[in-house]
Amino acid sequence: MRVGTVPSAAYDDLPYTRGGAVDRADVGALVQSAVDGDAAAWKALVEGLSPLVWSVVRAHRLNDADGHEVYQTVWFRFAQHLGRIREPEKAGSWLASTARHECLKVLKSLRRLTVTSDPQLLDRVSEDRTPEQSLLDSEEAAAETERIRWMWQEFEELGDRCRQLLRVLMASPPPSYQEVSAALGIAVGSIGPLRQRCLRRLRARLDARGAL
Amino acid sequence: MHDEATGEEPVGEDGFADDGFDVELLEEELRQAAAILDPVPPQLRQIAVEAYALHDLDARIAELTFDSVVDAIPVRGATDVPRMLTFRAGEVTVDVEVTAQGLMGQVLPPQQARIEVLGGPQTATPVMADDMGRFSSDAPPSGPFALRLRTGGEIVVTEWLRA
Repeated sequence: MRVGTVPSAAYDDLPYTRGGAVDRADVGALVQSAVDGDAAAWKALVEGLSPLVWSVVRAHRLNDADGHEVYQTVWFRFAQHLGRIREPEKAGSWLASTARHECLKVLKSLRRLTVTSDPQLLDRVSEDRTPEQSLLDSEEAAAETERIRWMWQEFEELGDRCRQLLRVLMASPPPSYQEVSAALGIAVGSIGPLRQRCLRRLRARLDARGAL
Repeated sequence: MHDEATGEEPVGEDGFADDGFDVELLEEELRQAAAILDPVPPQLRQIAVEAYALHDLDARIAELTFDSVVDAIPVRGATDVPRMLTFRAGEVTVDVEVTAQGLMGQVLPPQQARIEVLGGPQTATPVMADDMGRFSSDAPPSGPFALRLRTGGEIVVTEWLRA
């Protein structure tokens, strides 16, 4: 891991190493504490694993309403199954897998109903302003904003497979390959090579655009 | 961790691909972009925190054993088909049908039951099952829901599901 190579100053309090804020080794202990009645442990699980669940939802390109419901369903079910999860240290994979299945179910029922609303058309960037976003409103950050938006645009235009994989990989803290596997139903062993290829494609698009 | 993935595109220990660009760095930049442009909506995060109230170690979970969205063959041209669900906990089965008009179902073996239709950590609507185990509610669940049944001496909760 190459810590400290990230050029931006504004967000480098974000956990960097794979398995950052909630150390994946602690997940099992947090689950156990939550089972024993520790609400703070539950909150830590939510803080650490929410971005993973959200990434899985976004990777499947559900519209906002469906995506929000899937996210809630996943957490409600996790709370319900708390204390019954066979491998508590793999709670991240449990959440990712549950999110995937719920997403696929939504997509299946949409196809069945042949509704006119295309989830991809409805897909859009969240309009809630986070502290990070507000920070970008300052003038000196304008160029950085532009750069990030370019990168996001190019990311969005990658093929489905790459876009899905990268959307899950970019969860914060970075998910383990077991979690990515559970989130997308692809073999752990194929993630590394795919990741390489997808990031290189993105790099090429950015280079072509003259960005970064 | 990535290095165990040996494929056509080996990566060095330092995270550089063979053509010399830093994949770790690019992924991290994407991570920052996601945190800014597509973060977890704060209200959703809060709902997940509050979901802790839903954990109940004493209740039995009735698992979903049939879901028409997954298990049924679609009827061509049929629109507004009801969602049929079956949950099972041991010998207790709960059949549920969800339509735009509401929710109806039956507890089997037939028995009276006090049921709550849960819509989240803070939403519960009481419904009674008659002595045939039948129940109905004219409020269709919107979003995730679960049924909590008190029957005999025990509490059974159906798996959370998106209506």
